[in-house]
Amino acid sequence: MEPVNQNQSPELVALTVKQVLDDGNTDTRIVVLKSEDATVTLPIWVGSAEGNAIRLAMERVVTPRPMSHDLIRSFADHLGVRIERVVITDVKSSTYYASVAFASKGVHRTLDARPSDAIALALRADCPIYATQDVLDRRTAIHLDAWINKLDAKNIEPQQA
Amino acid sequence: MITQMRVKGLIFDPYNNAYIVVLRDEDNSDMLPIWVGKSEASAIGLALESVTAPRPMTHDLMKSFLETFDAKIISVVITDLNENTYFATIHLMYEDSEYTVDSRPSDAIALALRTSAPIFASEKVIKKQSSEELEQWLENLKPEDFGKLDT
Repeated sequence: MEPVNQNQSPELVALTVKQVLDDGNTDTRIVVLKSEDATVTLPIWVGSAEGNAIRLAMERVVTPRPMSHDLIRSFADHLGVRIERVVITDVKSSTYYASVAFASKGVHRTLDARPSDAIALALRADCPIYATQDVLDRRTAIHLDAWINKLDAKNIEPQQA
Repeated sequence: MITQMRVKGLIFDPYNNAYIVVLRDEDNSDMLPIWVGKSEASAIGLALESVTAPRPMTHDLMKSFLETFDAKIISVVITDLNENTYFATIHLMYEDSEYTVDSRPSDAIALALRTSAPIFASEKVIKKQSSEELEQWLENLKPEDFGKLDT
């Protein structure tokens, strides 16, 4: 793996998708990301279609027809482009920002994306997911409280180890 | 044989809780209805209305990916429609080679609208999915079913 560019990403924390929860109060999903040592949890609210795209990838469900993120993966495969990594780069007024890094024949390109697309793509491309330390630091208590408050006990799925 | 089609509109189908993308050929002699899910319809609807979302939607990401690597979409073709499985191909030009990528018609159409690529339908599809089905559906539609888009 290539070294992380220190200028662009001062400190990155690797995360894995632990689960996708249904938010019982709204038609949204909560993607729960955790650091490898499970000390950091980053919940990100996404739309139901976006959450389902992540769920399908997590469960390695092969759909009869390629879903949108399978299509991006397929474009990349056809063009010989590698999906290198995705990074949750920023959070502004509760909206998370992400980037997807691609590489082709020594050419590196980074594209702006919604975290839901970035994560759905990362799971299909088996590439690492990171968040900047800055994003994790600014994951305010308000977000976590809101998360816990919104969650109905009955909607919490069994923890997947 | 393929026929060039245009996206004429998007209709909400309250019976199936789905949306119908209506494609029509240039001289309006052939009509091709394609049933799609809500999120797929929304991806097509945003492009039809040229709405720029505050954050890039999935097909915007697809488009910027292709642009970044200088891959150009030449055309998309709706190749087959079965009861539950719809088929399309996306034809790409990249580094002087043409690539054909398998796709759902909804993704192909959402992408074609964003890249101004022409949309075609194979003769086989047009024959199979005659407009009878849509006409029948429209006859059963009640006035109150209209205006339910974007619920």
